Amino acid sequence: MLRRTRTTKKLAKRIDLQYFAHPHPFRSWRFWLSLAVPLLATAWFVAQRAHGGQKVYSSGQLSRAHAVFTQQCTLCHIAKAGSFTAPVTDKACLACHDAPLHHANQAFTPECATCHVEHKGAMLLQATADAACTQCHSQLRTRDGPPHFASSISGFDKKHPESSPLRSGMVDPGGVRLNHYLHLQPNLTGPNNTRVQMTCDDCHRAADGGVWPYEAEMHPVALNDLNPNRPHGKAYIPVPEFAKHCAACHTLQFDKRFGNEQVPHDKPETVHAFLLKRFGEYIAAHPDGVHEVNPSDRLLPERVRVLRVARNAAEWVQFRVADAEWLLYAKTCKQCHMLTPTNSPLPEVAKSNLTARWLSHSEFDHHAHRMMSCTACHTGAPASRETADVLLPGIQTCQQCHRPQGPSKEAAEGRCFECHQYHDWTKAKPTKGEFTIQQLRGDAKTPVPSG
Amino acid sequence: MLIDHTHRRWFFVSVAGLAVATAVYIPYSLHSPQGPRGGSPLGLTYGIAGFLFMLFVGLLGARKKVPVWRVGRAQSWMRGHLWLGLLSFPLILFHGGFHFGGPLTRMLMWLFIFVWVSGILGAALQHFMPRFQTAQLPMETIYEQIDRVRGQLAEEAGQLVEETCSTLEGEVSRASDRQRAMSASAGTQGGLTVASGLQANRQVSTQLRQFLDDEMLPYLERPGAHAMSLSNEAQAQAMFQRFRVLLPSELHSNLDDLENICEEKRQLDKQNQLHKILHGWLLVHIPLSYALLLLGAVHAVVALKF
Repeated sequence: MLRRTRTTKKLAKRIDLQYFAHPHPFRSWRFWLSLAVPLLATAWFVAQRAHGGQKVYSSGQLSRAHAVFTQQCTLCHIAKAGSFTAPVTDKACLACHDAPLHHANQAFTPECATCHVEHKGAMLLQATADAACTQCHSQLRTRDGPPHFASSISGFDKKHPESSPLRSGMVDPGGVRLNHYLHLQPNLTGPNNTRVQMTCDDCHRAADGGVWPYEAEMHPVALNDLNPNRPHGKAYIPVPEFAKHCAACHTLQFDKRFGNEQVPHDKPETVHAFLLKRFGEYIAAHPDGVHEVNPSDRLLPERVRVLRVARNAAEWVQFRVADAEWLLYAKTCKQCHMLTPTNSPLPEVAKSNLTARWLSHSEFDHHAHRMMSCTACHTGAPASRETADVLLPGIQTCQQCHRPQGPSKEAAEGRCFECHQYHDWTKAKPTKGEFTIQQLRGDAKTPVPSG
Repeated sequence: MLIDHTHRRWFFVSVAGLAVATAVYIPYSLHSPQGPRGGSPLGLTYGIAGFLFMLFVGLLGARKKVPVWRVGRAQSWMRGHLWLGLLSFPLILFHGGFHFGGPLTRMLMWLFIFVWVSGILGAALQHFMPRFQTAQLPMETIYEQIDRVRGQLAEEAGQLVEETCSTLEGEVSRASDRQRAMSASAGTQGGLTVASGLQANRQVSTQLRQFLDDEMLPYLERPGAHAMSLSNEAQAQAMFQRFRVLLPSELHSNLDDLENICEEKRQLDKQNQLHKILHGWLLVHIPLSYALLLLGAVHAVVALKF
């Protein structure tokens, strides 16, 4: 039988009523830890401040371009003299970047930091959020009347209009006759009468697109103006040039006496001067040729020809130049150029007017799309027979890969900045740097602007 | 602290606060050109609200240190500590746009995570463990007095053993010389003879003292002592059962008391363990809270500057 009992009185007697006044290990630990941990935190902060400068205050990693300034907050956070706060103002940005306005008539101009958000990690500053653009473009207003552009664009997949050439039913303004269908047929006659199968990039290739396959057959004017070290930028594919892309197949011979020699691909006046010079030189070297009768030339089209016998060298040159020009303007040049008769003996050649940049309000980088076949996007090109055909792909083609959610949704970047520029860089002015290396790296103080 | 129906008002207010904060945050996050930022007006609002909650929550310590302050009931402070502390974390997450930011803010966020999680753990422990403790440890005492009570138990055990042994030895001393002589010459017919009984009592007395010195006192005096036999209830029962066989029945109550003392010691050890669990989280929660408030104040000042 248990004799021990636990009455309240007995239990109370066991307790030291002043127990809370005495130190206890648990409470001691709590006290000392409560002192030590904040002290450790302070020590950590002081160490960070000592080694990393102002970096400890940073609210996040700076962008790639500005990462080098991490320890010098005051480069961008400029405090006015006597002021405690140091917000980022446009003045700090404009000290290094002259960023021109978007449009002169834009309704409001956001501050730089509104769109170019810093402290968000090692990203590209130009990778702005769509909201930065759509804050205006979803309900576009201008200061001088209704806008001239689509006024309610909320994103690439939200009311984004078709590109302007396709939207407006524009035709290719080019003055050179080109039949894509024909050029892509098999067994065309190529350089030196070889048979070739042309591909798109025989004529359309970026300036740094490597050696042209028919370069060896061409005039030595070739690609010596190109810089092979040029970085792959947002290069547009240059318009085809006769010398680089056409001359190997489309030769400009003018007279059998000169073999394969060709007239320069230039204005009719230049060609005329060239012919006068070459025939003059020829007859000077071959004076007996004056009285030779030229056989009928079956190559000349629609020619009802009267045999003409020159009485002297000057007349011979005149006749031969006339024959050569007839050949050129009735057949050779006409094949590609639009010729208009004029009051003078020489025709007027319509300007080629080839369009290098179709999307005037956006940018496109062919190099970034080099893994694709040309016809994957330019689906109409193989069947196009008319110069006037606009062969741009429609926006739906772009939207198959580019989506606003971008890489996070296993798609290509589709935010506004991918194709559009806010700043009109053609109006940029040069800036003059003022900082020293020490100031940029945080080893020296930046000057405090007055006012 | 028991989280019961008396918390209902705090719970609903906190849930409503969180719902409002979330409802504002979602469109702000989706439509803000820069994304959610601590420096934006809304971001600052979240930050200020969160920090004010943290300050209030931190003041609980001061309120406890100075209980004579008549600023609300202690219970209200505790509920405010619990619910506003809980709410402050999502507010700070909204403030930073779910980004941890730079070195200082990252440190603050980690501190906050540890403080918040340890707080939740503590609240859960404080809710469930006291009831468990009351049910499992009827002999519990004030935690700080466990050492003192353990000493008292050892003293009590010593007295009980001494009393028991005295009783046993008193019987021997009361036996006459004739009885001792008879017992010495007598056999063992009909059970124990007086002589053998007397001899046995002396042996039992010695064994009991030895048991006290070798087993009980070391066990009672040493906190924990989980390696010792008496820390195991079954083994302890077996040991005391052995003495029950040896001792006369009128002394069994003494053995019951001794066994009860060991049981109390076991409960005190268990209480010690549970107390460490029940309050150990405070060793993380409180110091980190101070560090958090300190660095948070630095962050607030620097954020105002930049």
